[in-house]
Amino acid sequence: MLSIVKSMSLSGLDGYLIYVQVDVASGMPGWEIVGLPDTSVKESKERVKTAIKNSGYELQSRRVVINLAPADTRKEGSFFDLPIAIGILLCIEAIKKCDLENTAFVGELSLDGKLNKINGILPMCIEAKRLGIKRIIIPIDNIKEASVVDNIEILGAENLRQVVDFLNNECKIEKATVNVDEIFNNKNNYSLDFSDVKGQENVKRAIEVAAAGGHNCLLIGNPGSRKNYDG
Amino acid sequence: MMARRIPSILPDLSFEEALETTKIHSVAGVLSKESSIITTRPFRAPHHTISSVSLVGGGRIPKPGEISLAHNGVLFLDELPEFNKNTLEVMRGPLEDKIISISRVNATLSYPCNFMLIASMNPCPCGFLGSKEKNCTCSPQAISRYIGKISGPLLDRIDIQIEATPVKYQKLDSEEQAENSETIKKRVDLARKIQQERYKDCKIYSNSQLTPKLIEKYCKLDAEGKAILKSAFERLGLSARAYGRILKVARTVADLSGSINIEKNHIAEAIQYRSLDKKYWKN
Repeated sequence: MLSIVKSMSLSGLDGYLIYVQVDVASGMPGWEIVGLPDTSVKESKERVKTAIKNSGYELQSRRVVINLAPADTRKEGSFFDLPIAIGILLCIEAIKKCDLENTAFVGELSLDGKLNKINGILPMCIEAKRLGIKRIIIPIDNIKEASVVDNIEILGAENLRQVVDFLNNECKIEKATVNVDEIFNNKNNYSLDFSDVKGQENVKRAIEVAAAGGHNCLLIGNPGSRKNYDG
Repeated sequence: MMARRIPSILPDLSFEEALETTKIHSVAGVLSKESSIITTRPFRAPHHTISSVSLVGGGRIPKPGEISLAHNGVLFLDELPEFNKNTLEVMRGPLEDKIISISRVNATLSYPCNFMLIASMNPCPCGFLGSKEKNCTCSPQAISRYIGKISGPLLDRIDIQIEATPVKYQKLDSEEQAENSETIKKRVDLARKIQQERYKDCKIYSNSQLTPKLIEKYCKLDAEGKAILKSAFERLGLSARAYGRILKVARTVADLSGSINIEKNHIAEAIQYRSLDKKYWKN
């Protein structure tokens, strides 16, 4: 049986859409990932297999083929673990048929099924929103970073089991919201202040000029002239 | 002591700037799980053993380097001559372009890197050249080798040079409260606003980005200013490349005092930020 799940990947500072296509069929037991995966993507095989088993689902010896489309760009990173696992569980019908057209998944699995924090979640969520995806399921540890993006439902899941139960309508995942204005109004959060620097008015003035015009600045001085160290 | 405090006097990040900086930090994986959007200007201080790849970015699929992590903030290079010379030279392009394009077999990626470079160094390997308290023990060759690590083209991109002298005991002991960051920041904000207004049609944001053509347009001197600059050139033996930089800095000094024209005291202050060129680099 075939299933197609949406996921996101990164190209520099921009996210882009990936279709994770999973086919589970009878035949010679084996596992194949195509679509120019690098080592970290290939290794997801072991993580996904074990995470599925340890989350209480049975994965019989089948032939599993996974394609990451578009197949002509190199894929790097561990964030396809979750969409691959979801694709497989859809194929073996551990997840009931549901509409995943507007849902994307990203996340790294650990062997016990827990979802680990990944890098680059912010550009992925921004791109997902731009593409009109309504819902993105990500690791709970990434939720604060991602929730800056509005107008898209961002759900932080703790483990694979929770995601499956959520898709089967057996549990709810709380939506996270962040008040960006509040964070921004709380400006005064630099721990160091110029009021601790006594003397050296000429250096302070030069730094003020540099800051005002965006100029680069070189400080030359004998040891102990406090160019850098506190004290 | 000073360098780490610079972000506290820079203008606040706008939402777009904050988002862009957060994106870079997100991709590089340096965000902690508690942080959402970065609202303070980043301060990056890599150790001088850093490689050129980790400074500008790289890898099989290129990742952002320190200069991009310092985007919209400050990149502080302590002990500048201790850095590998090649490492410093790779910064020349990005310092100018504010963007770095990294090409590898698998991908060509661009990362923004609009940062303010703050560097610090000793005048010689032992550190005491020109000191009143201790004698310098370095040979002239050692000094010129040390100073020579900073190439002309790199020095060219550093508009302001300033000599820091050790602080006297009385100053450290005094009860007198130094000016706090907020007061300084208010003046900086005001000067930045003047610049934004002036350059709104020029696609630049600050005086440091002025091109030779724009310098001609916006940094006009009166007769008195010209005379001061001329005599400084002769006295200090300044080079042609110092000329533009002095004018840019003079423009900033004028903006800080809210003056429309560059007055003689503004140009005099700007020349002073250039005089170390002659003292140490002899050019």
